[in-house]
Amino acid sequence: MKDKLSICVLDDEPIVGDRLKPELEDAGYEVEIFVDSASAIKRLDDRCFDIFVTDLKMEGVDGMGFLEKAKERCENSEVIMITGYATLESVRESFVRGAYDVIAKPFRIEEIREAVNKAKKRVRKKKSHS
Amino acid sequence: MKLAGQILSFIRNVSIFRKEPKVSFHDLFVHFHQILEGNNATMEMVADMEDKLGGQYVFDRKYMEDSIANIEKAVLQSAYNLNFISGNKDLELYSVIEKLARQLKQELAGELVIPGGRIVLALEDIEETMDEAVGNKAYNLFRILNLPNTNVPPSFVVTIGGFHRYLAMNNLHDQINALMGECKNKESSIEVISNKIRLLILNGEIPTRLRHEILKAAEAIYPRNSESACYSVRSSAVEEDGALSFAGLHDSFLNVPFRELLSSYKKVIAGMYSPGSIRYRIEKKLPFTDMAMAVLFQQMVESRVAGVAYTVDPNSPQNQSCMIGANFGLGTSVVEGNTEVDMFHVSRRRPYEVLDSRINEKKWMLSPNGTDSPVEVSPEMRNKPSLLPDQAASIVETALIIERFFKHPMDIEWGLDDQGQLRILQARPLGISRGGQSRSPELKALLKKQKVLLKDQGVIAYRGIGSGPVYIVHDEESLNKFPSGAVLLARFGIPILSRAIPRASAIITDVGSPTGHMATVAREFQIPTIVDTGSATRVLEPGCDVTVDAEKNIVYEGRITDLLFHQLLERPLFESRYEFQILRRLLRRISPLTLIDPEGANFNPRGCTTFHDVIRYIHETSLGILLAIAEKPSDLAGSGGRRLKSSLPLNMILIDIGGGLDASTQKGKWVMPEQILSRPMKALWAGMDSPDVWNTDPIPPDFKGLMSGLTRTQIESVAGQTLAGLNVAVLGADYLNMTLRVGYHFTVVDALMGPRPEKNTIFFRFVGGATDITRRSRRAALLLAILENIGFKVEGSGDLVIARAVNSSADQIKHYLYLIGRLIGFVRQLDILMKDDTSVELYFNRFMAANSIIPASDPNFRGARKK
Repeated sequence: MKDKLSICVLDDEPIVGDRLKPELEDAGYEVEIFVDSASAIKRLDDRCFDIFVTDLKMEGVDGMGFLEKAKERCENSEVIMITGYATLESVRESFVRGAYDVIAKPFRIEEIREAVNKAKKRVRKKKSHS
Repeated sequence: MKLAGQILSFIRNVSIFRKEPKVSFHDLFVHFHQILEGNNATMEMVADMEDKLGGQYVFDRKYMEDSIANIEKAVLQSAYNLNFISGNKDLELYSVIEKLARQLKQELAGELVIPGGRIVLALEDIEETMDEAVGNKAYNLFRILNLPNTNVPPSFVVTIGGFHRYLAMNNLHDQINALMGECKNKESSIEVISNKIRLLILNGEIPTRLRHEILKAAEAIYPRNSESACYSVRSSAVEEDGALSFAGLHDSFLNVPFRELLSSYKKVIAGMYSPGSIRYRIEKKLPFTDMAMAVLFQQMVESRVAGVAYTVDPNSPQNQSCMIGANFGLGTSVVEGNTEVDMFHVSRRRPYEVLDSRINEKKWMLSPNGTDSPVEVSPEMRNKPSLLPDQAASIVETALIIERFFKHPMDIEWGLDDQGQLRILQARPLGISRGGQSRSPELKALLKKQKVLLKDQGVIAYRGIGSGPVYIVHDEESLNKFPSGAVLLARFGIPILSRAIPRASAIITDVGSPTGHMATVAREFQIPTIVDTGSATRVLEPGCDVTVDAEKNIVYEGRITDLLFHQLLERPLFESRYEFQILRRLLRRISPLTLIDPEGANFNPRGCTTFHDVIRYIHETSLGILLAIAEKPSDLAGSGGRRLKSSLPLNMILIDIGGGLDASTQKGKWVMPEQILSRPMKALWAGMDSPDVWNTDPIPPDFKGLMSGLTRTQIESVAGQTLAGLNVAVLGADYLNMTLRVGYHFTVVDALMGPRPEKNTIFFRFVGGATDITRRSRRAALLLAILENIGFKVEGSGDLVIARAVNSSADQIKHYLYLIGRLIGFVRQLDILMKDDTSVELYFNRFMAANSIIPASDPNFRGARKK
């Protein structure tokens, strides 16, 4: 069996992480959840994650800022943005900055599961090349 | 251009209100259409919110804020449109909408909203939104009241509002807050402060109105004989019996006579400030100020035997057994644990066998009609079991119904009264730790070995796990025999299923949508539901046990107890999330329809208690204005209307508001169907006029009896082949509004069919019939099922059907209108033919097959999927 991939879920509304954690764990991932970007960034000092699921609009460092930090720190990772303010502008910017996918809130649990599943394949590929 | 000039002068000249401020015909329809559009949009948003309650979505606060802001905006716009065409007759709507919106914002902010400021409420008058007003104990009982096979003694509750009145009357708010503030910092002073506060409360005076209402409600419980009346008076604090039990910390009083009710009320609320309760608050980090308590008054059940049932054994939950503690007399002896009682372990599976029992020597009991002190149990009774096996089984059966509803192991206090009737005295979540969250590797491995009967075959409408024997409901009779705890399986979700839903452990349908009718009821009762599976009724064997995993969308063969227990003991409930509770509460102020009867005395803006009511009011009122025109077809003909010539004996007046008719039509002359230019009208007419649509089944012989109450002319117009009534179609190039009176039913079709899909709409409304309400409702159920499966959003009650479609391409609208045209012909006399509920399915299949929505050759049809 392949190694478990790790996922970091960051959203300032606790319900997002709380609901995604058991679902993603059921799907076979190791999951950590954070409700503020500061503690998620701090966690990056200790470890890396394979996939990030992050809210866009947050206090302090926002999703865009976090995306940059995550990409910088974990080079093989993929970032999925979730946002309740999905404008064309913000979606475009997310992609420009290297997000793998952007999902509008509210979303179905399967949508995240599918996005994560696709990101997983990319991460695996990158890992095998590096 | 000549025609344009004609239209303009028509618009200028025709006014529907001769005495009222003039609204041009054109403006009338523009605004009427906008009302429908606004209502459509609102109902879409409501359906979207309801869909989120099923547990499949992750949503947050912002979603709720946005949704209620958008709904308010749309409803205000509709109110404006109505006032425009009614000559400002409904200005009151604005303040009603404002008030409803304010309440929603308060709910969202977590503020307590007590409807009407009620201070005393009978248990059955509690509403879904009042959990915080009546406290969990009363609220849980209220919810149990509506479950099958449960019997709750007559009760009433003094609300939190009543509590605040008591404090206010005696100027206690500030004093108590100040004292409580002191003991937070000084552990040693808790006893002293507790005594001070309790004395303040016991010495207070009950406000006159509260006193009056308590006594009146207490009398209502014993209407004949209040002298021998006895009550139990129990605390029902907001935080109590929910996530926190406060077990044993608040006072309850039993055998309270009528004359001591008021003093008992004071004693119970004083109990909130007992030293034990204050320490518990400190421990659990609960707020110290603004504490509040509702109080539950119950008819005293004179139990011969009473006790407590736990739906799982907290010590060994995997044992699959319920635990019952029982003693003769009142249940307090069992709750307090200060005397020997009997213990039974009973299987959680039908027939609920007693697995083991420990019969102790029961020396003491609390007498059902005596004092507070225990009395001796007679020596010959002491060693006898307090419960017989079938009594234990019936307690467990009811306890499991309650557990299934709350989706949590439960702690239930019960009593068997002198008639042997099981009474539920209180129920709360059993304090049992919910462990891990995700499925363990062992559980996953176990599930891999199970036989999968269905996988990813439908859409989850409500998340959860349920198990039981498969039971197919195909008609009224099978519905009536629906066994409690079975998995309800049906071809499609017709509204009559609602009766069985509360007793089902899971629901599966072949056809249906998560935003449909039945899904709404399933969500209300929190039953795991998968709809639109296509083939479940073929694949699943009646009578066989299955386990429905409406989390992963899988149906397994057999009963997988590990999975059921995983949900019960391990999985955090999405329903218990704050956001879900708030959304549920918001929706209770938005989506129920209480304003049903347009003839009713409360059918006015003030009668609107939800946004759905407001929409219905605006809808009916604007429709009334529109139909007032159709009353005078001669006027219409005189002022620009034309008669349609057709093979159907329809007396139809066409009114062109621009581009709807060929320019060659002339005033006073017949219009041929080919001269219709209105695109939506052409589509609808193509359906109505197609040769094979009119149902020609013979009228059954018993029809005469049915119709005996009607006059001869009425009978002729219904049973005969003529289409009596006055019918009006208002036509624009892309617009159609048709009102039809065919037989005794009333149909309205309003459609916009232009190049921009986002602007396109269809609205269809159908009501009435010549038969009794049962048959008319059957026809309505048929229409709902067909329309829903074609792709409409539907709602209905009784014989009323409303269907909407939005956001569709012109081609799609054309197809919808064609089908509606055919449907109008198809169902014209069906109410007469629909003798029982099987006919819903019969005619559903016939229509779907005849219209190639399902291939006629495929007996295992699958409903047209709307994606």
